[in-house]
Amino acid sequence: MINYILALLLGFAFGFLLNKAGLTRYHKIVNVFRFTDMAVLKFMMSGLVVSMIGLYGLQGIGLITFPTVPATYIVGNIVGGLIFGVGMAATGY
Amino acid sequence: MNSVITYLRKEEWSPYIAGGLLGVVGVLAVALSNSLLGASGAFENLAGMIGKALAPDLFSNMYFNFIMPPGITWQVILLVGVFFGAMAAAMLAKTWKIRWLPEKQWDIVFGKNRWTRWIIAFFGAIVLEIGAGIAGGCTSGLAISGGMLLAPAAYLFIAGMFASGIVTALILYRGKY
Repeated sequence: MINYILALLLGFAFGFLLNKAGLTRYHKIVNVFRFTDMAVLKFMMSGLVVSMIGLYGLQGIGLITFPTVPATYIVGNIVGGLIFGVGMAATGY
Repeated sequence: MNSVITYLRKEEWSPYIAGGLLGVVGVLAVALSNSLLGASGAFENLAGMIGKALAPDLFSNMYFNFIMPPGITWQVILLVGVFFGAMAAAMLAKTWKIRWLPEKQWDIVFGKNRWTRWIIAFFGAIVLEIGAGIAGGCTSGLAISGGMLLAPAAYLFIAGMFASGIVTALILYRGKY
């Protein structure tokens, strides 16, 4: 139960930040593929940097263990990404 | 304190600040729930639930039994939170309203017809979800959450996503706008 409340709160924060970064808007998503607005990349990369440091730091001092890391199957990941990109650029989601 | 409230009411934040805070949320998700922030998985969980109720034989396969078990999972609850979080953010900025079309740019390229938007959104979303299903996640669940654990899968996915996204945008826009 507590886990579900956490999910709700984390999701709330996630959605809040997505909206504030403008990523709930069609033109923000499409324009990153047209190189006219790099907000998606700025958002993704700064998120990555902070969470990488946080996660590896906390793991280093033994406070957390990592959940299952997404599986790597090279062809599947790339082909999935290629299909995904078409949908993303067309819909702006 | 006042400046914090003013900032919360602002329509658009610097993507660096929002992204940095997202990183904190991502760390908290692992630290508190041992889970990753994903969005596309929840739709598969829900689709599995509907499918098992309507056509149990068809949905009784490896994928829906083991990889994406149906049910109200952690990710589904997360998605509910995302919905209300984004809504709250828009309400704070007083930009919340029901729109039939995206506010900018869409009209110029695709016209003002609502059906065009709905059809492209519907089929585009199907393509998007199939891609996410094959790759094992979407922008948030695989690219960001996998990327922060340094999973090679995430970076392969990002490469694929941008390669085809750029080509698709080029074809759709063809010099318009």
